[in-house]
Amino acid sequence: MIVERAAVDPIVIALAKAAGLEKALVQFPDDVAAAAAQALNNAGAVKVPTDPAAEPWPPMRAGIGL
Amino acid sequence: MSAAHWLSASQIASAYAAKELSPVELVKALLERIGKLDPKLHAFIRLDAEGAMRAAEQATAEIAAGQSRGRLHGVPVGIKDIIDVAGLPTTGHSKILVDNVAKADAAVIQKLRAAGAIVMGKLSTHEFAIGGPSFDLPFPPARNPWNPDHHPGGSSSGSGAGVAAGLFPLALGTDTGGSVRNPASACGIVGLKPTYGLVSRRGVFPLSFTLDHVGPLTRTVADNALLLDVIAGHDPADPGSAATQARGFGRFLDRGVRDLRIGFVRHFHERDLPAHPEVAAALEHVARVLEAEGAQVHTVTLPALTEFAGINRVILCSEAWSIHAPWLRERPGDYGQLARRRLLPGAFMTAGDYVGAQRRRGQVIAEVEDRLRDYDVLLCASSMDPSSRMDDPDETARTYPRQARTPFNVTGHPALAMMSGLTQAGLPVSVQFVGRYFDDATVLRVAAAYERATGWHKKKPPIG
Repeated sequence: MIVERAAVDPIVIALAKAAGLEKALVQFPDDVAAAAAQALNNAGAVKVPTDPAAEPWPPMRAGIGL
Repeated sequence: MSAAHWLSASQIASAYAAKELSPVELVKALLERIGKLDPKLHAFIRLDAEGAMRAAEQATAEIAAGQSRGRLHGVPVGIKDIIDVAGLPTTGHSKILVDNVAKADAAVIQKLRAAGAIVMGKLSTHEFAIGGPSFDLPFPPARNPWNPDHHPGGSSSGSGAGVAAGLFPLALGTDTGGSVRNPASACGIVGLKPTYGLVSRRGVFPLSFTLDHVGPLTRTVADNALLLDVIAGHDPADPGSAATQARGFGRFLDRGVRDLRIGFVRHFHERDLPAHPEVAAALEHVARVLEAEGAQVHTVTLPALTEFAGINRVILCSEAWSIHAPWLRERPGDYGQLARRRLLPGAFMTAGDYVGAQRRRGQVIAEVEDRLRDYDVLLCASSMDPSSRMDDPDETARTYPRQARTPFNVTGHPALAMMSGLTQAGLPVSVQFVGRYFDDATVLRVAAAYERATGWHKKKPPIG
């Protein structure tokens, strides 16, 4: 049985190819499209600080030792 | 003495001291129970019966000779299968690593062995601690001992199921977005995500460097403190390890909660993600119990759960992509679909997304720190729903993100989930306690007071 799949957005295809995901695009196009949509949703949920002085949390360090 | 498989670690130590039980007798009893129950629970990926018996024989001889190594001497422990145990496979429950045999023990395993604990084997997880529960992997997913038709939570699924079922008294799990506390919540046990940096992650397959934690799952709060005492400590080989000497995590367990100030984060389960009525009712009951025990409980506000979740996902996906990109490029079909879908978004995150999330992370940490200046401990939901049926992927997909655990992976504060009741259908519901950095002892203190007042830990799943 041939399963029809929705066409993947050309921008997503271009980004996926740039990330080296050619095999995933061929084998799992729905997963690639879902991942791109998920990435947009997640990034959009973050209220990035408008204060230019707000620095990133220093990775690998939470609080200080006692 | 209770049946050997329901003994806590401290009860086991007492039974050894009184010569009522030996490590060999205990391990034999547990292996028999595992043989009977694990074919339907699937807690184990790799049971190491021979290694466990050898360690039990050694512990029996040492204890008989009066050479005690401490309170975990001869106590069995299960290990999530992303933590290296030398000579055993670390598969991450994935086809990608199915032939990967660990060459050395992880730091936490070295500490457990030095304390005389007995490693029983490697336990089911969601694939790479993110993709599950899945049926398209090399091993079946673990099931919930309270009802094997239901999900045991994850990603430390085998750790939660095995402890709750009495297959072993202690287990190690890992927690990047709630993966110790979710199975603890679903299986009605105690799971602690310690302060970020308190427990070494050396030898643990990473998911997200700045969110990953290793933590204990146990049936009692005292056992949780005991296991944390053994695995905590600075490790220069782990870049995230804190230079802390914090120890004695059980030192406040008997103090009760009189005059402690507890901030109840009601909006998590009332407004942000409205909880199942039985979960919400149980949370209100927790607050009343703690007030009756002498604590002051006040409602407090934190940033919304959606914000924490967004920060967590952007950071997790970005960091996980940097680990998994080579395999996702070359072997995408060797992942299960859930892991593939949850890891691929990292390919579409930008450097700006990642740095923006880390910048916002600093701000939400500051907001939680503000609340913890006024309150000793925060009380909030863990899961918003009882666990879903394994054969209902839509319900699992709906309920899985409905949780309040990721905020404390983002902030790094210690957070403990434990049973707060049973639904009418007989499934556990849970509560979460959160404390100040490196004050894991006060989190355990509140949990111990709640445990004493309610006795939920005495309830056992109906599996014999």
